[in-house]
Amino acid sequence: MSAPSAHDVCVIGGGVTGAGIARDLSLRGLSVLLLEKGDWGAGTSGASTWMIHGGPRYLEFDWDTTRLSCEDAGHIVTIARHMVYRVAFIIPILPHDKNNIERMETAMEVYDRFQPLKKSHPHMRLTPEEARQVEPGLTPDLVGAVTLEEWGVDPHRLVFANVEDAVANGARALNHTKVISLVRDEGKVIGVRYRGPDGATSEARAKVVVNAAGPWVPEISRMGGANVELRPAKGIHLVYPHRISKFGLSAETVDGRDVLMVAHGGFTLLGTTDDDFYGDLDSVDVLEDEVEYLLQAFERIFPAIRDYRPVRTTAGVRPTLFKWRRYEDELSRRYQVIDHASEGSEGFVTIAGGKLSMYRLMAEETSDAVCRKLGHQAPCTTASRPLPGNESELEPVTELARSCGISALAAIKLQSRHGSRAGKVMEEARGGRVACRCEPLTEAELAYAARHEQVRSLADAFRRVGLAGGPCAGAACVIRGAEIIGRELDWSASQRFEAAREFVRDAWLGRAPVLGRFGWAQEELAQGAFRGLR
Amino acid sequence: MGRTDSLMKLAWAYGLHLTRRRLTRQSPQLKELLDMYAPDGIRPLKPAERERHPRLVGCINCGLCALAAGRLGRTRLPDLASSYMRLYARLGEASSDIAGDEPDLEAASAACPVGLPLAEVVEVVRRLAG
Repeated sequence: MSAPSAHDVCVIGGGVTGAGIARDLSLRGLSVLLLEKGDWGAGTSGASTWMIHGGPRYLEFDWDTTRLSCEDAGHIVTIARHMVYRVAFIIPILPHDKNNIERMETAMEVYDRFQPLKKSHPHMRLTPEEARQVEPGLTPDLVGAVTLEEWGVDPHRLVFANVEDAVANGARALNHTKVISLVRDEGKVIGVRYRGPDGATSEARAKVVVNAAGPWVPEISRMGGANVELRPAKGIHLVYPHRISKFGLSAETVDGRDVLMVAHGGFTLLGTTDDDFYGDLDSVDVLEDEVEYLLQAFERIFPAIRDYRPVRTTAGVRPTLFKWRRYEDELSRRYQVIDHASEGSEGFVTIAGGKLSMYRLMAEETSDAVCRKLGHQAPCTTASRPLPGNESELEPVTELARSCGISALAAIKLQSRHGSRAGKVMEEARGGRVACRCEPLTEAELAYAARHEQVRSLADAFRRVGLAGGPCAGAACVIRGAEIIGRELDWSASQRFEAAREFVRDAWLGRAPVLGRFGWAQEELAQGAFRGLR
Repeated sequence: MGRTDSLMKLAWAYGLHLTRRRLTRQSPQLKELLDMYAPDGIRPLKPAERERHPRLVGCINCGLCALAAGRLGRTRLPDLASSYMRLYARLGEASSDIAGDEPDLEAASAACPVGLPLAEVVEVVRRLAG
């Protein structure tokens, strides 16, 4: 083992909160080490509904959470302008719904007071006929509808933009690096031991260690001699590789929960479930019952939902704060910054709970706590400082497409990931040959991701640049993708083959619960394309 | 305490809402809604498009239609069906990709193993990109 590196702060967990803390602290002039055992945003952040939202449902429990959430969403929309897009929801009301249309509109009227905080439009009320003009697929049984606006975001890109900015400000950020223990000296936490992707063990010393491990918070806490109790809740989504509707939809489940069909860039997320989870956090399976639960809810308002072909599922676990005797759906989404000094673990801070929409605020408050411990005085700047790619106006799409020799659609997708840096990405590897046609993703962008964005596997490339994210689920691009990444990372032929095989095997786990009808036609094609990989 | 307080405030807002509904006349909001979201590329499907939509997004990207009929403008037919038909919000900015002559879409559909009606796909994509 080499000599330990020394840092002011070590942050454990490369989800959106950990990445946000690393960015915040490095911008305040502290030296930061950020460690993530998988890939950036591959856990709870990536399995979210991909929304920066205020949470109108929290109005029933805690208006302050809604206000804080909307305020921070407003900051995120400002600093990540190139990454966010409006999602307009229709909330159809059926006879015998939990909330009649007057109650639902009341909630939206109250929510409208918070909407300007995040630069969103107020709600509207639609008659049944108007609602069916906006979305002709709605059931004729509806008695009316109200609208609601939120923001969509790719959480993988949001997390990586925070990592990228942290690194640009001096942080060291390592993915695929697992913390195996905390280094302690008479109770005080003074560093971490970690294992890198090559299997080598290293040690790093830090004045403060921050536990931002999401649902893994209790495990890391125990390493530091502290105790943090969560009530982890599993949530799954169905992923459709196209927009089912241009509008988002809200539906009521058989047990009275609200679930969403969210129209993102070029795909649809349908979810989510919310169930207490006691299993292995590193292996969260999707059950066919959970798929059926979601489809049943949407079939009631959008009868054609079963005619569409989901391409995969996502599953994640929310790090909800512990509370006894509450239904999962009623649990608060508040967060807590815990200084473990009172438990005898000096130099150890945990951030637990919270949600994607408040990540920046959670990072700010955690960073404030760290700075207090270090006696370091520097203001937080993350509410106004643009994330990478949002430093200047976007180049017109047609000009970008012409200068890079790519289609306008490929240029749009490139901009949605890299913003004003899109041209620079293509400069490094000239040529607009397409690697993934569904996305569309160029070979140049994929090579750039391997070279500069810490892509170490095809799954990393899926998260970072959308490789194999479209309708064919990689049948047409996985092998070529392995070649391009392998060329950048000096993989041997067998390493490239193994990387493709690993991706196909893991992707199957997310696809199996939703195969049916056209899904099997797709699978047949994929089997042919992947012959020899399974 | 937080929940009781929240429910009381919602109850008060509900009373105000019901009173306002009784005293004021509601005007249609559909046009305003559509105008509000058109700049973001959020435009509804037509009823006929909605009915056919599940069939129009069935492309499995096998590439056979490209062998049968080639390109629409500068865009390969499989890309049109598997990528443009995903109905990206910013599709309007990509209209130049699909401008130009139509290939033999009937031949392309005949070659499709899942029977995708490519002429309809072209129609929907061009309308929403227009």
